[in-house]
Amino acid sequence: MIELLLTPLHYEYMIKAIVVSGVIGGVCGLLSCFVTLKGWSLMGDALSHAIVPGVAVAYLVGLPFALGAFASGLLAAVVMGVVKSKTRIREDAVIGIVFTTFFAAGVLMISLFPSNISLKTIVLGNILGIADSDIIQMLAISAVALLVLVLKWKDLLLFAFDPNQAQSIGLNTTRLNLMLLILLAATAVAALQAVGAVLVIAMLVTPGATAYQLTDRFGRMMLLACGMGIVTSMLGAYISYFLNGSTGGCIVCLQTLVFLMAFFFAPKYGIVAARRKARRTTDALLISGDAHPVPALRGL
Amino acid sequence: MSHGSTKLNKNDISSEIDLHVNEVTVAYNNGHVALFDTTFDLGAGTICALVGVNGSGKSTLFKTIMGFLTPTRGSVTIGGKPVQVAQKQNMVAYIPQAEDVDWAFPVSVMDVVLMGRYGYMNFLRIPRATDLEIAIESLRRVNMLDYKERQIGELSGGQKKRVFLARALAQRGRIVLLDEPFSGVDVQTEAAIIELLRELRADEHLILVSTHDLGLVPSFCDQVVIINRTVLAAGPTHDTFTQENLARAFGGTLRDLRIDHTDAPDGTSNEFRVLSDDEEPLIFGHDGRLVDHWHPGIDEEESK
Amino acid sequence: MNLSYLIEPFQYRFMVEAMLMAALVGGTCAVLSCYLVLKGWSLMGDAVSHAVLPGIVLAYIVGAPLAVGAFLAGLLCASGTGWITNHSRLKGDAVMGVVFTGLFALGLVMFTKVTTDVHLNHILFGSLLGIERSDMLQAVIAATLTLVILAVVRKDILLYLFDANQARAVGLNTTFLHYLFLALLSLTIVAALQAVGIILTVAMLIVPGCIGLLLSDRFGRMTAIASGAAIFSAIAGTYLSYFLNGETGACIVLTQAIILTLAALFGPKYGILFRARAARRAAAGREQ
Repeated sequence: MIELLLTPLHYEYMIKAIVVSGVIGGVCGLLSCFVTLKGWSLMGDALSHAIVPGVAVAYLVGLPFALGAFASGLLAAVVMGVVKSKTRIREDAVIGIVFTTFFAAGVLMISLFPSNISLKTIVLGNILGIADSDIIQMLAISAVALLVLVLKWKDLLLFAFDPNQAQSIGLNTTRLNLMLLILLAATAVAALQAVGAVLVIAMLVTPGATAYQLTDRFGRMMLLACGMGIVTSMLGAYISYFLNGSTGGCIVCLQTLVFLMAFFFAPKYGIVAARRKARRTTDALLISGDAHPVPALRGL
Repeated sequence: MSHGSTKLNKNDISSEIDLHVNEVTVAYNNGHVALFDTTFDLGAGTICALVGVNGSGKSTLFKTIMGFLTPTRGSVTIGGKPVQVAQKQNMVAYIPQAEDVDWAFPVSVMDVVLMGRYGYMNFLRIPRATDLEIAIESLRRVNMLDYKERQIGELSGGQKKRVFLARALAQRGRIVLLDEPFSGVDVQTEAAIIELLRELRADEHLILVSTHDLGLVPSFCDQVVIINRTVLAAGPTHDTFTQENLARAFGGTLRDLRIDHTDAPDGTSNEFRVLSDDEEPLIFGHDGRLVDHWHPGIDEEESK
Repeated sequence: MNLSYLIEPFQYRFMVEAMLMAALVGGTCAVLSCYLVLKGWSLMGDAVSHAVLPGIVLAYIVGAPLAVGAFLAGLLCASGTGWITNHSRLKGDAVMGVVFTGLFALGLVMFTKVTTDVHLNHILFGSLLGIERSDMLQAVIAATLTLVILAVVRKDILLYLFDANQARAVGLNTTFLHYLFLALLSLTIVAALQAVGIILTVAMLIVPGCIGLLLSDRFGRMTAIASGAAIFSAIAGTYLSYFLNGETGACIVLTQAIILTLAALFGPKYGILFRARAARRAAAGREQ
């Protein structure tokens, strides 16, 4: 039995996959706190799809995939900004239009110029078969993102919570906005290889959403989300060995499971706790004489 | 005009449209109890103001009367029937707050007013001649007929308000709920709205207005319900809208000016106090009762 | 370039079928997109179209029509999102992100454990040119059903989206309308999946509505413009893909995007150029 459980660890490619997933999961976890609080879920989803044409071009001309992906993610963000400010279309629709168009362009490009990348790899990820050069790119991105987050998280927190205040104490909010956007695009690029374009958004939302159910302090929320990202990603990669594939699917299933547990059983904001609280408050208000401040109100 | 409201006969209206809020408690899913043990009754031919600070449960109470929220305890009945049944009979009309409306929505003024008639139309909501007639009549009554083909976002704040008032008229609801009708509205429209509400009252409607314009309340409301998570006071304006009750409801959130004519020659106390929330001031005499208040706009409006 | 070269695609039965299919699916999506765009529910189309995956796999395992499984999974995603949002402190968009990715991931994991003849690539990217008869039939039924039901309740749903309180005040059952709309959305997505695949379905559920919104101020006209643009894009996109030898779904979506760009630039009232000219005129007027 133990022998069986240890088999994945005998393979170098599995150990690599587990470690890389853990690193990416941790960074995405940290960033997910800002994404959930700022309401940027759709943005994360959009960027992870919008980088597809960049990946295609990078492979075609032989550039590092991260470079192409990153450039196309930022281009998408700029296009969204322009379309939003110039037309009467709602923001969510603008984001939807831009990312699906980018994605369609990527799909068309790959179908027009067949090369050694398959669309399926981009959309679903393939960390078990990842090349060493890609691992280096991903680790480098993660390290930079982590550094920026550790140094600037307080500025970003203020920006997410109250941009006007951030502006008024002299922070450059345009730059902070751009910084968050770049971080998002960068981690989306890194996570693309691990879980694929469709599931990147889960890595960038679920840990933060789970942690938010569990705590009221931002510092603690970041720790929880980061820890959850690391553990679920490593465990997911490990389990995928036995399932013979779909690492991304395993990681995200685990994350969703943890989220559901937090949703139901969180000590303060869980659904069970909220039910109990409503019952108690009502009882308390009705028992205290407070409930009848004006005795005879009937028959006005 | 009467053939539009086939379901209600004028004679039995007054018995059918009393609003009865009975020991209502509303708790939200997150465990917050927004309203508890709230009780009051209102009858036909009344304009009643619903007053309270932000977060006092005004909008929760509105939503409960609309049937949008189900009370965890207690009940709301309209003419003795549960809210849902009353709504099926088109008894409750509702005028939303301006912020709650998506003004870019691609509908015309006429479309909006016809939405008030849906309850009378067939399954496909194809307007009959009667519905069109009533919609046009309602628009004429609020003086907006000339704008009926405009897209709603192209109107001014006051015009938008009148369109929704026309929708309520077209619905022929006997109970009309207005959520902050005076916010973002010019003085002329304010006067026009009040005038229309008075007409509706004369026509045996029951009108419930949620407002923070305290100074306006005495000028057109004959009943007041003051709430802060439960009913603090309810009754005729003159008895209920007192300094003491308002101080309890609003605490330190109102500006309180005391004006004392100590130099009055005859020695009688002419002291009076002004309570203001920065809209129109509310003026109390020395006995803590209302001093004759000004009637906004109406006179100037009529003299034009 | 001669004429026979240009009409060549129409001589192949599979091309004509693909065009008709794309037009039907695109038109249906376009009608729904008008409602989604107005309500600010663009993410909803995104979420539901991904969430259908476990339903499809499950339906395959038990041998039910794939459309039924997809429909149920789509509904589960939509209603689950609503329920969790109502019962937690999270923003709706975050909850939706969690729920649909969770379902999609579940579908992927299930997929690796089942050997199917359903090709994952077809679900993800569609296979308009190689679509099977039975799938075509399912799509036609789903699209027709959606259009018929929408034709009946379109005014009620419009009122619900515009002003839910008023809908309730005139006695409409808003909960029913809400779920009916989500059901129609799931049904449409089921039809569209076969043709253009999950991710490009999302585009077809957003872009045409935006084209309509840019060109019109009335809902009826907006719907007509949206479906017209979608049907044109479907036929033109499929036609172009024949010559380019590229993904059909991607060509359709890119055609829609081009029309949208034109509408945004040259639209008579809300177009960027029109507004710029109007602003210039106003400025000139002020100076005089």
